[in-house]
Amino acid sequence: MKLNRRNFIGTGMAATGLLGLSGLPLRAQGKTLNVTAYGGVWEQAVRDCFVAPFEAKTGATATVSLGGPAQWLAQVEANPEAPPLDVLIMSPDLAVLAAESGLMDDFTVEKLPNLAHIPQEFTDACLGKGTYFDYGVGGITYNKQVVADPPRSFADFVERVAAGEFVASVPSIQYGPTTVFFLWALNNALGGDVENTDPFFEAMAKMKDNLVFWAGPNDFFNHLSSGEADLGIYFDGRTWNHVDEGVDWIDFINPSEGGAMTAVAIQKPKHASDLAWDYLNEVLDAGNQAKFAEILNYGVTNTQVQYSEKLAARVTPLSEAKLPPYADIARVRADWVDRWNREIGM
Amino acid sequence: MPDQASAQAPMSAALRRALLLAPALIFLAVFFVMPLVDNSARSFIAEDGGFTLSRYGAFLTDRFYLGVIAETVILSAVVTAVSVVIAYPVAYVLVRKAGRLSGLIVFLLIAPLLTSIIMRTFGWQVLFARRGLVNQWLVTDLGLLDAPLRWLNTPGLAIAALVHVLVPFAVLSIASVLQGVDRRLEEGALMLGASRFRTFLEVTLPLTTDGIGTGAILVFMIANGSFVTLVLLGGGFQTLPLLIYQQFNTTRDFALASTMSTVLLVIALACLWLQLRLVRRQGV
Amino acid sequence: MRLSDIALWLFTIAFFVFMILPIAVVVVISFTSAGYAAFPIPGWSLQWFARIFEYQPFLDSLWVSLKLAVVATVLSCLLGIPAALYLARARSGWAMAITTFLLSPLSMPMIVIGFASLFFLSWLGFGVSFLSLAVVHTVICLPYVVRTCAAVYRAVPPAYEEAAQILGASRFTTFREVTLPLIRPGIAAGSLFSFLTSFDNLPVSYFFGSAQTNTLPVVMLAYMEHQFDPSIAALSTLQLALAVIALVVADRLYGIEKMTVAA
Repeated sequence: MKLNRRNFIGTGMAATGLLGLSGLPLRAQGKTLNVTAYGGVWEQAVRDCFVAPFEAKTGATATVSLGGPAQWLAQVEANPEAPPLDVLIMSPDLAVLAAESGLMDDFTVEKLPNLAHIPQEFTDACLGKGTYFDYGVGGITYNKQVVADPPRSFADFVERVAAGEFVASVPSIQYGPTTVFFLWALNNALGGDVENTDPFFEAMAKMKDNLVFWAGPNDFFNHLSSGEADLGIYFDGRTWNHVDEGVDWIDFINPSEGGAMTAVAIQKPKHASDLAWDYLNEVLDAGNQAKFAEILNYGVTNTQVQYSEKLAARVTPLSEAKLPPYADIARVRADWVDRWNREIGM
Repeated sequence: MPDQASAQAPMSAALRRALLLAPALIFLAVFFVMPLVDNSARSFIAEDGGFTLSRYGAFLTDRFYLGVIAETVILSAVVTAVSVVIAYPVAYVLVRKAGRLSGLIVFLLIAPLLTSIIMRTFGWQVLFARRGLVNQWLVTDLGLLDAPLRWLNTPGLAIAALVHVLVPFAVLSIASVLQGVDRRLEEGALMLGASRFRTFLEVTLPLTTDGIGTGAILVFMIANGSFVTLVLLGGGFQTLPLLIYQQFNTTRDFALASTMSTVLLVIALACLWLQLRLVRRQGV
Repeated sequence: MRLSDIALWLFTIAFFVFMILPIAVVVVISFTSAGYAAFPIPGWSLQWFARIFEYQPFLDSLWVSLKLAVVATVLSCLLGIPAALYLARARSGWAMAITTFLLSPLSMPMIVIGFASLFFLSWLGFGVSFLSLAVVHTVICLPYVVRTCAAVYRAVPPAYEEAAQILGASRFTTFREVTLPLIRPGIAAGSLFSFLTSFDNLPVSYFFGSAQTNTLPVVMLAYMEHQFDPSIAALSTLQLALAVIALVVADRLYGIEKMTVAA
C-alpha cells in the first residue's frame, strides 16, 4: 500500500536532494524518553505521579508531549521506524487499531512486573499490545437545582427526555469517544448489540426535539451552567472535578443498566526506547496510580490500589460498569458513524 | 531599456527575471503540491494495490454526500453574500467618510483577525447562551421577549460567527479598490444632474465590482475550508471539511478523507479559476 | 450631515459592536476572580494572568510559537518577495496562473495540509520536528506575502526604477535604494499577516506537536479539554495585547491605512 502510493507520484524526484537534510530532525537523543499526556490537570498529574518516580529511579529524563491519541497515532504511523514518541496514551478504540496495525509492542509480565496486578481482561482488550491504567464511566450528569427526581436508568432517561420533561445535552459525533460511551452504552441498555443499533437510533429519533449536542466536554458544562440543558450524558470523574472546583449544583448517576467504562490505554510503539518499559511499570504501580486517582477523580486499574474514603464514594466500581467490546466496535464503527451522519446529522 | 544584456539577448533577461519565481515555485511544488498528491493517491489506490476510481463513483452517486457537497457550497455562498452586503457600506465609510478616523477603523477591522478562533467562539457562546447577555437584554432589560430564545446550535448563529471571522477580508478588498476610483467620474455624473443614489448605483458600484469580486472569492474560499467554528458552535451543518475532520478524528478512514479532500480541492480550484478570470479582466 | 450619511455611520457603528463584542466578553472574563469561565464576573482579579506564568507548557509553547512565526515569516519573505516583484509586472496569462497557484494554499483546508504534510515530510526524513513545522508554516504564510507585496509593487510606476538605472545605478543599487523602500509597506503588511497566521494556526501545528515542538494553540486546546479555567481567556487577552502592540508599531512605521492592501 505504502510503496504503491509512493510509486504513484513518481518516486521522490525532489526527495533525493532533500534526504541530505534527514539528519536534522530534533529527536532527543540519549537517555530521554518522550511520553504523552492530555493537557491541564492531567498533564500535571502525569508529571507528579509517573514522570517523577521514573526519573528518580532511572536517572533518565522524560519529556511530556501534550495532545490527543489521533494525533499521536498518526505521528507513529508516519514514522514507524523511528517513532517520535516512546509511550502512547490511547483511547481504547484507537488502541485496538494501533495493535492491529502491528505498530505496537507486546505487554508481558517479564517486561512489566506490575502488569501482574492489572486485570487480564484489560490487556486482552488491547489485543495484548497495551493495557488500561485509568478509567471513567459515562452516565447521567444533572443540575440538582432544576432536576429534583433524575432518571436512574438509560431507559428512563430516554422516556422522559422524549416526553419533553427535560432538555438533554448529549455528545455529538465530532467527539471521539461518543460511539462507545453513548451510542454503544445506550444501545446496549435498550436491548441492542454491536450488530444491531436500531434501538439507539430509534431512541434518538424519539428524543430529537429535546436534545442539544456537545462537541467537547467544556460545552457540556456550559450547557448545564447556562441553562441550555437540564441534564445529559457525561463522565463521573469530570463531574467530580467540577464539584471540587466549587460547583455545588451538579451530580452524577451511573445508570442502573451500567454505564460504559471508558478507559485510558497505554502502549509502546515498536522501535521506541526500551526505557519506556521502566516508565510504563511506574504507570502501573499501585502507589503511583492511587496518587493519580486522587488528583483526577477517576478510577485506576491496579487491583492493589486502596482509594481514600472520599474517592471510594466517587469512583464507580468496575463491577457496576460495562466493559464495551472495543475490538468488535472497531470493526463496525465507520458504519455507525455513517448512519449517525445520515440520520442524526452532526 | 538601458540594460545591456536585455538589449543583446532579450530571452536570457526574461529568463533571469523569471528566476525570481523559481524559489517560491519549487518550494510550493515540493512542500505543498507533492504532499497533496501523495495524500490524494490514497483515494485512487484500491485495496489490492491497483488504480481505482470506484471511491469517487460511490461518493458522487450517494445522495447523502451530494447533499453534503451542496450544503458546503451553499453555506459558503450564504456567508459570502452576507459578508459582502455588510462589508460594502463599511468600506465606503472607511474610504469616503472616515477622514482622520480611517486609521481607527482599519485597526478595529484587523484587531479581530488577531484574536484566536478559540477565544472568539467562546465569546459567542457566552453572549448567546440561554441565560446569556443577549437574552438577558431582550427579556429583562428591554422586555421585547417573554421567554429567552435558543441561539446556540442554530444555523443562524453559526453563519453569524463565520461572517464575523471573514467579513474583514471583504471590507479590506472592497476598500482597496474603492480607494482607486477616480472621484471626478462621480462628480461628473452629479454635475450632469444624476441623483446621489443614481450616481452610486451607475458609476461607483460598477467601478468597484472587482473589489467585490476578489473579496467575495477570498471569503468563499476560506469559508469553504473552515471547520473549527462549525465544530465549536454547531448549527447542524454537515460540510465536507467537517466530515474530513471526522475521518481524522474518529473513524480514521483516510481513503474516504482523501476522496473528500480531492472533491473539496476541485471546488476550490474552480473558485480560483473564477478569480483568475476576474483578475484578468481587471488587468485589461 | 445628510440622512444617508447618518445611516451609514449608524450601520458602521453597529458593525463594530458586532465585531468587538464577542472579543470584549472574553477579555473581561480573563480578569475574573472566579474559578470558572462565566459572564458576568463576580469580581476582578489578575490571578489568571499569574497562572499563565506558573504553567511551564504555556511559556515553552509561547516561545516555540514566537520562534516559529518569525522563521516562517522570514522564509516567506525570502521566497515571496522576489516572486511578487516578477508577478506584479507580468501581464501574460500564465503569470496570472502562477499568481493563482502561489495563493492556492489559502483555499485548502488546513487539516488536509497538516495531515498530508505529516506523512510526506516524515517520508522525506524531516519527522516530527521544528524544521517540519517551519516548512509547513511557510507554505501557509507565503500567500500573504506574495499577495501584499505584488499589490503594492503593481501600484509603483516602473518609471522610478528606470530613472535610477538611467542615472547609472546598478541593478542591485536600484533594488536597494528605490524598489525596496517603495514596497516596504507591502512587506510590512505581508509579514504582519504571515506572523499572525502562523502564530494562531492550530490544524497544521497539531499534527507536528511534540514535547519540543508544541505551539501555543496546541497547548491551549490540550489544556482546555481537561481544565477549562479562565487562564485560557487570559492567554487570549495576552495574545491580543501582543498583536495590538505589533499593529501600533506597524502604524507608527508605515501607517496603518496601507494595511488595506493586505486583502
